[in-house]
Amino acid sequence: MPKKIISYGMFMAAVAVLAMTVITQVGCTTPSQSAQAEGAQGDSALASGKGGAQLWAENCMRCHNIRDPKSFSDAQWQVAVHHMRVRAGLTAEEHEKIVVFLQSAN
Amino acid sequence: MACLHRMLLAVLVVVVTASPPVFAADAAGDGDFVPRKEYDQLKSDFEAFKKEVRNSPAGPNTANAGQEQFEYLEAELQAIRHMAEMAQAGSTKFLITGYGFATYSDMEGSNSTFGAGFNPIFLWELTDRLLFEAELELELDAMSTALALEFAHASYLVNDYVTVGAGKFLTPFGVFGERLHPAWINKLPDKPLFYRSLVPHTSVGAYVRGGFPVASKMNYVVFVSNGPQVQTTTAANSGLLNFHNFSDSNNNKAVGGRVGYLPIPELEVGGSFLVAEVSPEGFAGDVTAVLFGFDISYAKEIDQIGGTVDVRTEWVWSDVEDATYDPTGAMGFGPITYDNERNGGYIQVAYRPSKNSNKVIKNLEGVFRYDFLGLPSGAPASADQQMYTCGLNYWVTPSTVLKAAFQVTDTDGADTLHAFLFQSAVGF
Repeated sequence: MPKKIISYGMFMAAVAVLAMTVITQVGCTTPSQSAQAEGAQGDSALASGKGGAQLWAENCMRCHNIRDPKSFSDAQWQVAVHHMRVRAGLTAEEHEKIVVFLQSAN
Repeated sequence: MACLHRMLLAVLVVVVTASPPVFAADAAGDGDFVPRKEYDQLKSDFEAFKKEVRNSPAGPNTANAGQEQFEYLEAELQAIRHMAEMAQAGSTKFLITGYGFATYSDMEGSNSTFGAGFNPIFLWELTDRLLFEAELELELDAMSTALALEFAHASYLVNDYVTVGAGKFLTPFGVFGERLHPAWINKLPDKPLFYRSLVPHTSVGAYVRGGFPVASKMNYVVFVSNGPQVQTTTAANSGLLNFHNFSDSNNNKAVGGRVGYLPIPELEVGGSFLVAEVSPEGFAGDVTAVLFGFDISYAKEIDQIGGTVDVRTEWVWSDVEDATYDPTGAMGFGPITYDNERNGGYIQVAYRPSKNSNKVIKNLEGVFRYDFLGLPSGAPASADQQMYTCGLNYWVTPSTVLKAAFQVTDTDGADTLHAFLFQSAVGF
């Protein structure tokens, strides 16, 4: 029982930390703050201010090697990136920018 | 004019037959189809040419023969337009992807053996929002070929942050199952120890998932499924969770999910959970299982070390409510009751000198993985295991890899076993 309490406690603590992060951060970024912060986007996982090439490199290499954009046609990339959005939890903006980049680079 | 007529026809024939088709699943490329873009360009050129000729002093208005030839060309163009429209790809897009692999393993105490597998993945994008995906798994058993449905589910993009889906899907618990298990992505020839027995690989149910920008970035998934079932029939398996039952055994569904947080692009931290009632119908008492897990992934190309470093760890704790197995002894091994808590995980580090100028060295990758599996001391025939695996990979292409690994397995109360593992994997 003590092990269960410790395990549950650790998990709830982690959830609480995560929740506090979300609560304190959601709504704090205004459009003007986003525009000012665009210059510092290199260290952030946010898609705003980043091009498709950068988002493609950052998101894809988290799990696997990056394939040559020429390996698929425009229509094939559309399907592949849609599949990756579902599987890897890409945001809508990342999805759109990565598709546009790959279709222009193949 | 006759010469002009023949020249025009020749141009039309050459342009139409030399234009390759554009399809989502283009494999033949036999030149029988006219792409829309080229057809439009052809039509535009022809209209411009017609206008130029009509306005010239020797245009068709001055001769019936010229008018007839232009009408003939007009009819030919209409026929070509019809052919092009018939050959146009529809709004549905289709892609076959997947991977194949071949293995050789030489484990102490077992026969060395070759193996192979083929996993085609079918992706249909029926609309911009609707996707159906399915994977088949064909692997060799001792005497036959095993065919399995790895996953088959449809998903719908409700909005920028919410995707819903249902079917059979890779269980979103941790990251190895959903993202890293394909042979061309997994950096070692085998799967981590904990993944073979502590967590479900697939689930049948429905999910809600998505990604959204929150200060940095987060992704989430929540799912409901038929859920696992605790095994009760033999001494060796009593208390183990069976994740391969695809129907609901007790009219209670499992609920699970994962939240991932990316403070910086190269780092993701995640927490997972799964809760389910796992006692089969007819079992004395309800037994609930609770699984918690966390995962950390870091992958970055760093100039200072001349290459790419990839560090990952996942850990899971499994707590199955205490129960008495074979309470009357009728099955020959009971009654058995024990504190049914298990845990396990892995830590993996990989380095690839991707910045090296040598074409061979830049494609080499060294990998090390430590595995741990902790089993309940009161369970029959259970012993903690630790595994150390060192591997060297060579990436022929970004999705084709040759792997070689040496593995040492320590099992409490048993001899240490050594193994050589080799694998070639192709992602397509």
